[in-house]
Parts: sequence; structure tokens; C-alpha cells
Amino acid sequence: MSSYSVSFYPENIIVMIDENDSLLYAINLAGIPVKASCSGRGTCGSCGIIIKQGQVKLAVGAVPDQRYQGKEFLPACRCFPLSNLVVELPTESKLTGQQVLLDNSFGEETETLNIYSKNTLCDMFPFDSPVYRKITIVIPEPSLNDPIDDLSRLNRSIHKATGMEKLRPTMGLLRILPDLLRRGGWKITISLAGIPGSEFTEVDFVEPGCENDRYFGLAVDIGTTTVVAQLVDLESGTVTSAKGAFNKQASFGDDVITRIIYASEHGVIVLQEAILDTINELIEEMLEEISIKPSDIKAAVCAGNTTMTHVLLGLDPSNIRLEPYTPVANKFPAMRAARAGLNIYNQAWVHIAPGTASYMGGDITAGLLVTGMVFADDLSLFIDIGTNGEMVLGNKEWLVSCACSAGPAFEGWGIKHGMRACPGAIERVVISQDGQKVKYDTVGNSPPMGICGSGLIDALSWLYKSGIIDRTGSMIKDPNKQRVRETVSGREFVLAWAGETGNKADIYLSDAEIKNLIRSKAAVYAGIRTMLHMVGLPVEAISRVYIAGGFGRQINIRAAINIGMLPDIPLEKYTYIGNSAVKGARLALLSGQARELFYNIADKITYLELSNGNLFMDEFISALFIPHTELSLFPTVEPEAGL
Amino acid sequence: MINDIWNGSIFEMVIGIGPNTVKAGGDCALPFLRDEDAQPVKPVTALEVWDVEPREWSDVLTGAFPGVLHDPAAWAKKCAQYGADLVSLKLAGTHPDLGDASPEQAAAIAKEVAAAVEIPLIVTGCGIEEKDALTLPVVARALSGRNVLIGSATANNYKDIAAACIEYGHNIIANSPLDINLAKQLNILISEMNLPLHRIAMDPLVGSLGYGIEYAYSIMERSRLGALNGDKMLSMPIICFVGQEAWKTKEANSPENMAWGDLKRRAVLWEAITASTLAQAGGSIFVLRHPESLKQFKVHIESMTALNI
Repeated sequence: MSSYSVSFYPENIIVMIDENDSLLYAINLAGIPVKASCSGRGTCGSCGIIIKQGQVKLAVGAVPDQRYQGKEFLPACRCFPLSNLVVELPTESKLTGQQVLLDNSFGEETETLNIYSKNTLCDMFPFDSPVYRKITIVIPEPSLNDPIDDLSRLNRSIHKATGMEKLRPTMGLLRILPDLLRRGGWKITISLAGIPGSEFTEVDFVEPGCENDRYFGLAVDIGTTTVVAQLVDLESGTVTSAKGAFNKQASFGDDVITRIIYASEHGVIVLQEAILDTINELIEEMLEEISIKPSDIKAAVCAGNTTMTHVLLGLDPSNIRLEPYTPVANKFPAMRAARAGLNIYNQAWVHIAPGTASYMGGDITAGLLVTGMVFADDLSLFIDIGTNGEMVLGNKEWLVSCACSAGPAFEGWGIKHGMRACPGAIERVVISQDGQKVKYDTVGNSPPMGICGSGLIDALSWLYKSGIIDRTGSMIKDPNKQRVRETVSGREFVLAWAGETGNKADIYLSDAEIKNLIRSKAAVYAGIRTMLHMVGLPVEAISRVYIAGGFGRQINIRAAINIGMLPDIPLEKYTYIGNSAVKGARLALLSGQARELFYNIADKITYLELSNGNLFMDEFISALFIPHTELSLFPTVEPEAGL
Repeated sequence: MINDIWNGSIFEMVIGIGPNTVKAGGDCALPFLRDEDAQPVKPVTALEVWDVEPREWSDVLTGAFPGVLHDPAAWAKKCAQYGADLVSLKLAGTHPDLGDASPEQAAAIAKEVAAAVEIPLIVTGCGIEEKDALTLPVVARALSGRNVLIGSATANNYKDIAAACIEYGHNIIANSPLDINLAKQLNILISEMNLPLHRIAMDPLVGSLGYGIEYAYSIMERSRLGALNGDKMLSMPIICFVGQEAWKTKEANSPENMAWGDLKRRAVLWEAITASTLAQAGGSIFVLRHPESLKQFKVHIESMTALNI
């Protein structure tokens, strides 16, 4: 078996692979983050590379994609080495510079999100019992009148100081307790750490000299596409650092199903390592930024969807995707950071947000905390517009949920010029009435490289309004429209010409891609309609709608209503809450009440399986129309309907 | 007797001109309910004629049209003699596999057939969307002013066909694959081109007895109920191409030595029962092939709409 070297330019990394290893394997070996939507099946074309030196052979069926200044891109997963190689990974194929929604989008609201209370987060979830804290207490010395054992004495004093009753000491504490108490003059600093899923608090000693050290908690949103982490000072409650990155699992597939299949075939370890790498790198970046040590992070809360959670914990996710869709567990045992593989204080407790069902996970549980809807009398709807399209409807008395499987189209996947919300992504679009002129804003104001979710919603709305597409999303033939081009595979609309873009190629949306977007938006709307129908309520019964999702810094609700993705109710009812999962994780770090809810709320959510019965399918087909087959459902979009 | 009172009705479509128009639709209640609808509407019937001689029709069928199957005009005359309300001309010869006749050739035959009979015409294409989009506008122009019913338009080719119907004054058949939402969507798209709603007929793609009739029945029933409840986008009369479906089946074609009894009787019944069942669901226009089924169907309709039951 011959071996060949593959040198990556300009990264200057060299790896050795065998003749049977694909170049995608080489890229993964080199640790260069690459897009691999179909996880190496050779169907998506996202892992395009350029061979600068050497020869490769293409597996049967691979077709080079001509798209960049005349150079041929080859799909790395279909290339096998015939000699030593020098390979370039073009920008389009790399997962780089993610502008990840770190937490801070609230749409119109500038301060922390809260609806029912007047000012801040603290009213709803008082910052009274962080998941880890240190206290210094003075303990009465034992006497003949009060001869109880050291531990009970300590517990009694803790109870007096904090009101806590269910306390559990570590063995380490017991071993040095008598000495620590007597040498310290009956004054002791101890740590109190909430044990995940338990009413008990773990009591441990604090190294002498470290009593005044700052201590932090880690909040992580483990998204399928992006991972966001925050370091929270548990004494002050402030976020001292926040970082985001793409989920390295993207090299094994862009969606949970592809990754579950990968895990079924190759085992879950590789995926587990990828996510742990991602999180630990974020931790490292944050540690560096504020100059603290890993052992200063004393607790962690992780919120991810069911599949992400399974992979994080090394659990077999195979049955999640097979009817009747059973996860291994929805609630997870308490685990220490060392066991979990997180590079923080090795005895830190790791709290995992519990989920409800295969397609309703801890990220939604965490997000729910943020909406506050579980305390409200009136009805709210919480929608996470992402690949799974989870939504929760309810109030303090009941909660139902469903996942409409919207697909990743609004995150840019499956769209040739689609991209995540990072620099160069078109995020707002306006098209003139005659369809000839396009104005856009990009993230970072850099020359456009592609278009992200919020831009796609805008684009769809304007394409219909300017008569470029009809109600089914088909592009209308019109030789007068310079931006509408006919190709062998259908029509395309050019959003930005090559001269103005960052990659010197036209940025366009094709007929097929628009149909894809329509399917995604139809799934969201159909999910809402179906869920409302299942509980027998009209859309007017909803008082507030919370939109979460990381497809942009904001979402144009008006445009989303125009295309029929969101219900036509007054705009004031909508609130964009950005990354609700990491916000919820942070709440769990800081508030005992939030934590209690965190562990219990998932049980109270009834998950409705949309694939049961015909209703969802019927609603879905009905929604495959701009804005909808029932025009009367959208009075502000179609004022003439019903005449 | 408790009667439903409806606030909507089926549009009435007029096909043809002069003294020989046929009206389809116009129902104000569910089918055949004498007490709810003062003047219950009878479905109208058509017999099918092809522009080329059909090669695969069974003897039972061809036996009903001796000597005329090669001559569309003569065949159409025979259909009128058999008592059909309309002739439904299928331009099968325009199909790429059946001769790929040009739009002009098809239009010429259509004109001939139109001139040969007094009863109004339905004209349908070969079913290949791209070809029909080329053929039907040319045919529409050739038949300009005759107010025929032209079809079928689908979501993929409706624009050219609808434009031609508007320009040359015809009605249109809107075809959707057994889905009430897709049917509505197509009606909306066509009406937004400014073709008046009463000039659209819906073809839900019916299946024959034993081959999906239940689907069609449900869709048609829902459609009728929607119309009666005021949904204008479902108020179009429904056309059922029963002949082409019923005569595909093995029940209508397999020879007599199977335990199914007499072939001719069985085949005719297959078509007649499909038609009468779908009439119960609310069909307005029935396109049949065998004159005997036509006769049985008409007898059935007469008895269902008779004054004294």
C-alpha cells in the first residue's frame, strides 16, 4: 500500500495518507475545518479543493464543479492520491470566521429580556443561588453542652447562614475537616455546589489561600451548526467572556440525521471528540482572554438538542432517527467535568439540560426559561427557527411542543450561495418594484460572499413583491429582467454581480433553491397551524411569540409574514430572542429557581408527533404558496382576499 | 326533514356558442338532494374522440365505433348520435410516442371536428406538459370564438394555456394530482391571470373503481362542501375523465374465461359505476368512452333527479 504526503497550502500542514484514503480524510487529519454537508458521500460538492501539484484519481461519478475564476474544484471526498500532493482549500470550502450569535440580540429590546417583570432578569429568576459559590462562616466551638460531630456542626452553621438543608460533604472535606476547623479558629471557607438533578448541595473545602479567588461557571449552547460558550462570574453574575465557533462535527455532516448515520456506521467517539474539541477550544480562548486557569471554572451547564447531548456524552444516538424515535435518555445523570471531558475544574459538576423527546432537546428547555412563558397566564409561542424547527406553545398551566423539521435552508445549507451569518453574508435585501435593482446590507459591511438566513427571508419577500416569482415560487420568464437568467437547470435571479462581490462570482438564487426555501417556510407555518389545531386554539389566542435562532442578527418579521412563514398577527406580539439556549444555560448557572425549573420543565412538555395523521401534511401542502393557499389567513398581506 | 342551507354554490360554466351551449355546474346543494335544491343539476356527459386511431383499445370499445376510428370528424358525429352532450377530443397524436403531431396539425383536426358536430367541444392535449403548452394555445386560436373547454393546464404550464383561453375566449381545465390544496393553488394562479372563475373546471385526476376511486371521491366531496360553504376557489365544476381510467383496468379488458363473467357487460359496468359513483361525489362533467356506459349513466342520472322518487 503506497503512502503519499499531502501538503496544505497556505496552512503549511503536511499529512501522510494511504492510496485508499480520500483527500477529505487528509483534511480532517490535518485538522483544517472543512464544509462536508453530506459527510463524504460525494453528493453535496461542498468539500471542493484545488490540486496545485500532483495527481489524483476521482472516484466514479465525481464531477468537477467549475465555479471559481475558471479553476476546477474537485470534491475532496472523491479524490484519492496518485502521488504526493499540494492541495489548496479555497475559502468557500472552509468553515471559517463564523459570526456566531453570541447572545446579545434582542431585536428592539436593548436590555436583558423580560416581559412580565418591570426591570431585569433577576425579578423572574432572582440571582440568589448560583450553581457554585463560596462562603466563609464562623462555627461555634464544640462544648459539653454542644458536643455534636464536626460535620453536623458545619451543616448546622451552613443552614443558619444560607437556609440550605440537604448537604453532602465530599470525602476530601471530611478528611481535613477537623484540622481545618481547629487550625482556622473555627472559621472556614467552603464551597457549595448544586448536584445536577438533585436537591442536594455538595460541600467541599476551599484550599487555604484561595478563599478570595474568583470562581466562574461555563454556559454552553451546543448547536448542530455552531457552539456558543460563556464564562459567567458566579459572584457578580456577569458574563466575563463569550466566544462562538462552528461545531467541528460539521466535517461529518451538516445535520443531525447525517451525523447519527455516521455514528451508527463508525461509532460515536469521533463525533464526541469533535464536539469536546470545539468546546475545549472555546474554553481555552476565554481563559486566555481573562487570564484565569481551567480550575477556576467550577461548574458547567450544557444545553444542546437531543442528538448533540447524546454525542457529547458518548451515548448511542441511532434510535433517535428510527421510528418510534427513542433517545437513550432525556435526563442525564450527574457527571463531573473530568468524566465529561471538559477542561475545567475536574471535580466541577456538569449540568446537562434535560430534553423531552428525540427532536425536542435541552436547548429548547433552556430557551423556555428565557421566555418566561412558563410563568405567564396568557399563551405564548416559542419558535426556534433552525434545522429542527422546534416550537413550544403554552403558559404556566400546560405546554405542548412539536418539531416541524424545517431543514437548514434558512441557515444557508443547500443553497449554493447560502452561508452562515458571518462577515460577507447578505443579511438584508431590498429589490425594486421592477425587479431590476437590488440593494443589500452585509454582515461586517464587507463585500458580499453569500447570503444568510435573514437575507433569504427578505429576498423571498421582495422577489414575490416585485413579480420575479409567482405564488409557488417559480421564477417568471421575462426577457426584460436582466437579473433573471435562463440556464439548463432552470432560472436564477442574480442578487449581486461578480464585480461587487467578495469572491468575484455572481451571487444568485436559483429556482430550485427558492422552492427549497418555500418548503422550509411552509414547514414552520404548518407546524404552528397543526399544533394550534391539535389543542383547538385559534392563532389570535397567542399573546406573544418568541423567535430564537442563529440565522442572523435579527429577523425581518414583516418579511417573514409576507412570505407566509409566521402568522399574520400584530408585529408587537413578536420578540426576537436570539440565542435562547445559552441565555437559558446562564440562567441555570445563576438562579436556583431557574435550575429547578430547568430540571422539571422538560417533563411537563407534551411532545406532539407531527407525523401522526394527515393534518401536518395537509397544512404543509397548503403552505407551499406565497403567502398561503388560504389567502384569508394573511389579511395584511392580501387585503383583497375573501372578496 | 332537515335541510342544509348553504351560502355558496358551484359556478355555472357555459361551453359552446349559439343555440347549442351546454351548462356544467351551478349546483346549490349536495348532489341529488331533491329537497335542498329546487332544480337539481344533472351532470353533463361527453364521449371521447381521438385525433389518431387508438392502437390499444379493446374490441369491446372499438366495436362500438365501426369504421370511424380513423376519422375524427366521423367519430365525433357518431358520438353525437349516441346522445353525448359534448365531444371530448383528445389530441393523442401530439404525444412524442404517438406521432408527435405538430400544434398546427392538431389544430387542423380540432377545427374539422368542431365543424362536424353541433354539440360543444372539449379539447385535451397528450398529457406531456411541455408539448401541451405548445399545442393548446395554437388549438385555442384555431377554435377562436367557439368557447370550447381546453385542457389540461397544470401548475407547470398554465400560463401559456390560460393566456390563450383569455385571448380566444375559451374555458380551461385545471389539473392537479389528487390534492385539494394544489387544486386551489392552481385556481388562484389562473384566476390571477384574470381568467374569470366560472371559466375554470377542475380535474382532480380521478381513479377508476378499484384503482383509487376513494381518493377522488374524498377530494371531490371536500371540494363540493368547501364550495357550498363559500370558498370561491373550490367552486369550479369538476370534470372526470372516467373513460381513460376505467378502460385501462384488467377488469375491463381481460378475456371471458376468467371467473368474472361476460367481458362486455363487465367492462361497461366498470365505466358506468365509476361515473355514477363520482356523480354522487359531485362531478359535473363526465368524459366516457363507451356509448353503452353513457346510456346506463344517463338512465341513472334521470332516476336520481326525477321529480317523484
